[in-house]
Amino acid sequence: MTQSTTRLTIFTLAALAVASFGFATATLAQDTPAPAGDAAHGRSVYLADGCFECHGRAGQGGGFNYPTPALAKLEMPVESFVAFLRDAPHDMPSFSPNVLSDKDAADIWAFLQSLPGRKPAKDFPLLNQ
Amino acid sequence: MRSQSPDTGRRNFLKSATIAGAAALTTPVVAGAQTPDATKTPKPDAKAAPPGPKQMAAETMPPQDAKDPVFQTTSGGDFMVDVFKTLDIDYLAMNCASSFRGLHEAVLNHGGNTKPEILTCPHEEIAVHMAQGYAKIEGKPMAMICHGVVGLQHASMALYNAWCDRVPVIAMGGNIMEANKRGPGAEWVHAAIDPAAMLRDFTKWDDQPTTLQHFAESAVRAYKICTTPPMAPVVLSLDGELQENPIKDPELLRIPKLGKVIPPQGDDAALAELAQMLVNAETPVLLVDRVARTPAGMARLVELAETLQCAVIDNVGRMNFPSRHPLNQSFRRGIIRQADVIVAMEVNELWGSLSEFDDRIVRTSHPITKKGAKIATLGCRDLYMKANYQDLGRYQEVDLNIAGDAEASLPTLIEQVKRLVDDGKKTAFAARGKKLAAAHAAAVEQAKSDATIGWDASPITTARMCAEVYAQIKDEDWSLVGATIRLTWPHKLWNFEKPHQWNGVSGGAGIGYNLPASLGAALANKRHGRFTLSFGGDGDFNFVPATLWTAAHHQIPMLYIIHNNRAYHQEYMYLQAMAARHGRSLAHTDIGTTLKDPHIDYATVARGFGVYGEGPISDPAELGPALKRAVAMVKSGYPALVDVVADPR
Repeated sequence: MTQSTTRLTIFTLAALAVASFGFATATLAQDTPAPAGDAAHGRSVYLADGCFECHGRAGQGGGFNYPTPALAKLEMPVESFVAFLRDAPHDMPSFSPNVLSDKDAADIWAFLQSLPGRKPAKDFPLLNQ
Repeated sequence: MRSQSPDTGRRNFLKSATIAGAAALTTPVVAGAQTPDATKTPKPDAKAAPPGPKQMAAETMPPQDAKDPVFQTTSGGDFMVDVFKTLDIDYLAMNCASSFRGLHEAVLNHGGNTKPEILTCPHEEIAVHMAQGYAKIEGKPMAMICHGVVGLQHASMALYNAWCDRVPVIAMGGNIMEANKRGPGAEWVHAAIDPAAMLRDFTKWDDQPTTLQHFAESAVRAYKICTTPPMAPVVLSLDGELQENPIKDPELLRIPKLGKVIPPQGDDAALAELAQMLVNAETPVLLVDRVARTPAGMARLVELAETLQCAVIDNVGRMNFPSRHPLNQSFRRGIIRQADVIVAMEVNELWGSLSEFDDRIVRTSHPITKKGAKIATLGCRDLYMKANYQDLGRYQEVDLNIAGDAEASLPTLIEQVKRLVDDGKKTAFAARGKKLAAAHAAAVEQAKSDATIGWDASPITTARMCAEVYAQIKDEDWSLVGATIRLTWPHKLWNFEKPHQWNGVSGGAGIGYNLPASLGAALANKRHGRFTLSFGGDGDFNFVPATLWTAAHHQIPMLYIIHNNRAYHQEYMYLQAMAARHGRSLAHTDIGTTLKDPHIDYATVARGFGVYGEGPISDPAELGPALKRAVAMVKSGYPALVDVVADPR
């Protein structure tokens, strides 16, 4: 729901941009690798900090001012993921360590890896009507 | 609506006083008649019996011989109803009010409550939005009426939506124009010198007729103006006395004829130039928004696209283009970046469609179009503009602006294009079309794959919700008339192929549109035997929930699916972005943005209004059976609501 005018303008463009250069070129902000993730804790942070608002509770993606990408089984190294969150492109908020620690970010990454992700669409009769 | 009602006879009293006065001035004195002699008037006797009712009446009421009519055989309201019948106005949506009691009664007893038939609406916003949704399905305006001043204030946001959506609505408000005719209290605070002033920035025309002949001409003019593209709402302010009082000279009244209303067509030479641009382009894109005004619109657009075998991107302001047509590239908007010719048809905010804008601390934007790309517009937007409200968007540089209704201009454009297409072009176009068809098919497969993520999740994903709904309605003659979830999933998963299967969005993004506008569309669909359904957000629902009572009262069948994300979700996301920007806590962004503690039980709310309710449903396995029961209810002629606790988007 929104009182704000939806910007049809950007739609997939920003998402495409995120996919094409955002995640792919993100680099580590720290010298040390991010710690291994705790998926259960990552889930609670993912929900509490509002990641689900744009990307869905199952990491299925959604929409903000444009379609937002699915994150379930995200194909991105954890280090790149953490770095991406620190300096996100377009309308996506960036998250400083003050509000999202490296560990919490890594835990979110672990949670995203733990999600079931995609399945073959041909196995779903309702998707082939 | 009057707060001080004891003076119900005041206007009659004033009237009769005037008549008595006039009679005194004009009645000749009869010779020999007895006249009161003040010098002989007996003084009150303190011991006399108290005055009886007759004596009291004689002392306090106007003289017996004064003209104080209590019955009338005609009224201005009757004539107004005759005008509506002449204009073939089917419905009059209203929230009753004393300022149009004369017309209200005339609709019932002179008009027989048919053409127009009264639709009882518990809020003026409901009445306007019903008219907006109705017009987009039925192709003609509905009338609505409300109290002057406060009623029009309630109606104003909905009129703004209709304005931005280019939809004809005949809005009316009651008023008491003459100060000396207004009763004390509510009639004063509900009267205005110029009631339509507050609406003038977002309506196309208004008037306040002072005579019945004036009304007839203004009503016909209002109809003509609001249905001439660019369409928009119009406003008539109706004086209470004009509605209520007897018709003085009925033989002099005449209802003028409404001639055919022909939409403006683009200039022939300009359309020929546009055809040349399109035929010579390598990667043309048709960007469309509110093109299809009538069922013919979609067929014309399909013909143009197929002749050119070019991409179509639909901003879904109307049912412009079939969702499964291989040239539909609406989910590949990146194709705009490669376009060498872009033709925007009836697009409200073109700059927004051709630019990338980042909502960051420093707001930046840049065009996404290819260098050297030619841009043309075809539409009637520029034919009628207002300055105050900024529904026009940022200025977009364009190579060729053609002012004219797109649907009306398409036959000429198609003819010009066909003249220019030789065999060589046909071969090239076919190859282009083949590539686009493959890309469309790939996008659909990608969408299906995306839809499998979280398939069994609770809250239910919007993809699963849409798939479950389609399974229940796909064999009906369905009409989706609202989608606060945006059209993304239905457009990807459903087969939209008929003109009535979609009717666009609110226009002004004013919340409170979806439920009543859907009901107006459902009313139009009812007569055609179609199955109406709509997805509505919980936030939208809470603005005008009493719309459900109107649905029940008038037995308007509609399946209303609440996309219950328990939030004003867009604002929730914005607040998270604000907190993140400041490096401050994200934990409290649900305050003021969510609808929880307690959760609202929409099925129970529906039942309270007399509407069948299912839910809340958060288990995806329970959704199909619940929808099946609700669909059966709708097919039996009644509205039904299903509350689906779903993921945000």
